[in-house]
Amino acid sequence: MYQHDVLIIGAGLAGLRASVEAARMGVDAAVISKVHPIRSHSNAAQGGINAPMTDRGDDWEGHALDTIKGSDYLADQDAVELMSREAGDAIIELEHMGVIFSRNEDGQLGTRRFGGQKIARTFYVGAITGSAMLQALYEQAVKLDVNVYEEWFVSNLIIEDGVCHGVMAMNIHTGELHMIRAKAVIMATGGAGRVFEPSTNALICTGEGLGLAYRAGVPLMDMEMIQYHPTTLAGSGILLSEAARGEGAYLLNSDGERFMKTYAPDYLELASRDVVSRSEQTEINEGRGIDGNIHLDLRHLGRTFIEERLGYLQEVALEFVGIDLAESPIPIRPGMHYIMGGIKTDVNGATVVPGLYAAGETANVSVHGGNRLGANSLLDTVVFGRRSAIAAAEYARSAERHSSDEAMLSAEQQRYQALLDRPADLRAGAIRRDMGESMVAGVGVYRDQESIDSAAARIKELRAVYPRVAVDNKGKVFNTDLMSAIELDYMLDVAQAVCAGADARKESRGAHFRTDMPNRDDENWLKHTLVYKDGDGSRVETSDVTITNWTPVERVY
Amino acid sequence: MEQTLRVKRYDPENPESEGYQEYTVDVAETTTILDALLTVREDVDGTLSMRCSCRASICGSCAMRVNGQAKLVCKTRVNSVSPNGETVTIDPLGNLPVIKDLVVEFKPFWDKMKVVKPYLQPEGVVPVAEYLASDGDMAHLVGVVNCIQCGACVSDCTVLEVDPSFLGPAALAKAYRFVKDPRDGHQKDRLGALNESSGVWDCTRCMQCVEVCPKDVDPMGRIMLMRDMAMESGFNNTSGSRHTDSFAKSVKKNGRLDEAKLAIDSMGMFNVPAMLDSAPVGIRAMMKGKFPWKAHKSSEPEKVKRVFEKIEGE
Amino acid sequence: MKYAFYPGCVARGGTPELLVSANAVMDRLGIEREEIVSAACTGAGVLQERNQKLGDALNVRTFALAERMGVPIMTICSTCQGVMSQANRRVLRDPEYLAEINEVLAEEGLEYKGTTVIKHLLWVLVEEIGIEELQKTFTKELSGLNFAPFYGCYIVRPSDALGFDEHPERETSLETLIEATGAVAVENSGKTKCCGLPILLINQSNAIQMVSNHTGEAKDMGADAMVTPCPLCHLNLDGYQPKAAKRRPSGKIDLPILHLPQMLGLAMGMQPKELGLQRHIISTKDVVAKAAAAPMAVS
Repeated sequence: MYQHDVLIIGAGLAGLRASVEAARMGVDAAVISKVHPIRSHSNAAQGGINAPMTDRGDDWEGHALDTIKGSDYLADQDAVELMSREAGDAIIELEHMGVIFSRNEDGQLGTRRFGGQKIARTFYVGAITGSAMLQALYEQAVKLDVNVYEEWFVSNLIIEDGVCHGVMAMNIHTGELHMIRAKAVIMATGGAGRVFEPSTNALICTGEGLGLAYRAGVPLMDMEMIQYHPTTLAGSGILLSEAARGEGAYLLNSDGERFMKTYAPDYLELASRDVVSRSEQTEINEGRGIDGNIHLDLRHLGRTFIEERLGYLQEVALEFVGIDLAESPIPIRPGMHYIMGGIKTDVNGATVVPGLYAAGETANVSVHGGNRLGANSLLDTVVFGRRSAIAAAEYARSAERHSSDEAMLSAEQQRYQALLDRPADLRAGAIRRDMGESMVAGVGVYRDQESIDSAAARIKELRAVYPRVAVDNKGKVFNTDLMSAIELDYMLDVAQAVCAGADARKESRGAHFRTDMPNRDDENWLKHTLVYKDGDGSRVETSDVTITNWTPVERVY
Repeated sequence: MEQTLRVKRYDPENPESEGYQEYTVDVAETTTILDALLTVREDVDGTLSMRCSCRASICGSCAMRVNGQAKLVCKTRVNSVSPNGETVTIDPLGNLPVIKDLVVEFKPFWDKMKVVKPYLQPEGVVPVAEYLASDGDMAHLVGVVNCIQCGACVSDCTVLEVDPSFLGPAALAKAYRFVKDPRDGHQKDRLGALNESSGVWDCTRCMQCVEVCPKDVDPMGRIMLMRDMAMESGFNNTSGSRHTDSFAKSVKKNGRLDEAKLAIDSMGMFNVPAMLDSAPVGIRAMMKGKFPWKAHKSSEPEKVKRVFEKIEGE
Repeated sequence: MKYAFYPGCVARGGTPELLVSANAVMDRLGIEREEIVSAACTGAGVLQERNQKLGDALNVRTFALAERMGVPIMTICSTCQGVMSQANRRVLRDPEYLAEINEVLAEEGLEYKGTTVIKHLLWVLVEEIGIEELQKTFTKELSGLNFAPFYGCYIVRPSDALGFDEHPERETSLETLIEATGAVAVENSGKTKCCGLPILLINQSNAIQMVSNHTGEAKDMGADAMVTPCPLCHLNLDGYQPKAAKRRPSGKIDLPILHLPQMLGLAMGMQPKELGLQRHIISTKDVVAKAAAAPMAVS
């Protein structure tokens, strides 16, 4: 019988940070992850983590304002304040855990500039900040002997009488399905990049956390806010960090021009990501692209600098495109990268379902609103990973242990069996690619009613044929075929929610830019969209944005 | 262009079916082995099990043996291993038990990591702000923190092939990361533990780990540095450290190696069991006229000695 | 073409038959050479683990001596080749480092300008003399003989220090020479693995197991002998084979280990004593007899 007080789904930065906090509190907690913690997609974050250090001439209000402005005023300002205030301590704590942040001449933590900020307050490790942080957090989890269900796939939540009591998960090594009862569950399953094609995201970023919460009755907030990162490789979609621009790289069009001066005369290449992506797309659409790409030029930074500060970028460039960044510009274009939208939570990670919490990319507090600043996601994960653990532990203290209905497990087993029994028909991979291409076409950097409707219609068609998805692999051991089929089920939900949000928001704000409604409409739309599952479709409600100190103004870079 | 992949299959639920299966897929100039395998898995045969995730050589999931050598398949182009369209053979990593197809049991790998206490162990008062450290010290560690724990080095390590108790290149490289972290307070203890059997001295210097590492971590180089650090810290009573000292002494004196003396010094002159054990080998060598009675020299040994003096004096 | 000959320590010490056979074969081929008598040991990787700069300095000194002689260096030991190639690469990539080392060498009037090329006899034969010219010196065609190649780690890794990009044929050079004699190269999984010598004095059990695995496998696959371009490998594969044999259920291996020049010498019709074949721990009688019985080479 598997049971814990707190169960954390996902062992990326948010999940591990939560687990370390729980371990420090002496709480009976466990982490469950469909991959080994080190393989979590947090390791792909490259550029750095923001923090205003108030003892070093920075102020938290400055970071908060940059974040709120970056969000196009959709972020909840009380949540942003919290994150900005706690950031300094979070960085020091990470350093104490062993993260090998770079240093300045005085031996203190060094910084670099990042998008949407004038002050250099991004702390970093070369171009592998996410990997370095994930390793350090995992090391702490090992030191604290955190219990990890390694390579277990959560396929469903245990929700009874509207309360979350744990999960149902498959041990990937044995194919056995189990109930793991928990008084509180923290969803830290990351993003859902695989709903889009191409995407910078790993193959494991299939958003079942979002789908699970959605089906449990939790609204998904601001799902239309999809971040297209300005510098991704054509075809593969592999990410090239914003750190390149933070360290001075240029974006050039086919005329060899630094075109950002037209769109963002003040911040240039370091405007917010949605602004830069739209600028690039406009250049491409107006015929000033280079084979449909933009050039990212690092040559003037010099070979030594590139190899020392941006080593991983050089590795990617050489290995995947055969380009030496010290000798040649590299073709890039906007690519799907991050979902600002997510499971609606309060500032402590709590959702409307008692016992269910969320943190990290999968959650939406909202600190990123309509557009996330680079290096704020890493900050988000550790700040809210910690806060949700504290809140979940507190809740678990007074919650009753619940013995769940075994009939639920049988139902889940039947779901698996139905997939296994179905004779060969449609393939999950083909449907996923179809969905992904439709989503990028319909809910891309630029969108309009027609494109949104087109995507929504295609998703509806794919949802209708989903019951025909079959698997080749009928075995028990390491059946990734079966996992893919179940992941697709949830991905279709996520796609549908994104389309619903995009349709509902009748304005342009942040990353949601509608060519048919190009202006921001604070009067009617200074609101969050909340998509609720409703039968086979959804309904959209709205809620107000929390404004504390910063009055929304026109966003200019 | 068409490309045939010859993939090792193994199903624990059907062990008699173990063997190679061939798949032919379309590839282009930039297609990677992972791209090809994903085409197989998604469009041809969903029963193929493998680990893969980021596709960008940062998560470490997709290490496998390609034509017998461990590689990260997401960054290995098909045409780099098969320039003329030759069939490519894909096997799971070596030195780890196979679970299914290309998926190996990584538990021995993670267990060895845990042996080297892979977490910072600072000593003394924890500062309010960050520990001060030089950028050079932190930058030096980036090379080892680049390790994505993919298992390629462990797969192809020639010592692990004969001795699974060896800590192995990945765990030893991880140990180096902490030994060289100025914030760690247990350097000597760490070196002491690594100096024991199955530790730094058991590496046979075959460079497989250096050759196959997709991230240029250079595990063997780190192991060698830790040998030196262990000796500097006073751990001088292993046959390994005696071997190194004896080697250096003889080259310093003669410019060349005195093999007989080296053998005796390394074992330890008074190490009776070892001497007796090696006696038959020595005797056979003597009988065949191979015993190097007289150490030969460089024609100018004093010049060689000067090089030693100048550099070791530094 | 002339070479600065660098036999290495073991070719004179523990495996004197290597120097004898190498000289015999090189004489037959008319390879002009002059030994760098002042050169020191390369350090074999052991010295480097104690102080890499010291090892590099000793090797750069050897390069400078050869540069002064105006000719490339020829080695007959995989380990010497590998250690020197690595040292050369290090100093060529880092002019400041080279300058520091040259400062140390200045005292004896030496300065390395970075032009020295280092090639093992194995590569010289394939790349410079060529198989055709080599075969002209063969009086025997060793058809019917099976030889298992065993390279030695240092001549195959790290591949980017050994010029494999410019000379991809180096990867199979040993098989090329085996086949040039008319013999069959026995594909064995140990051919680029470690012989175990570097840990012989530290973990004898593992070293013995490596010998047992590699020689045992080759024997099982029908090899008449194993051929290696490295005397350090030879020391272990030959000298410790009796001990290694005890690791096998049969208790037997009996696989003679030939130095590369000895194999070539047999194809050249040389006598066993000329090639030092009586000095091996594992008797070479059978393979010598088989070679003697092989047909005459067709010109």
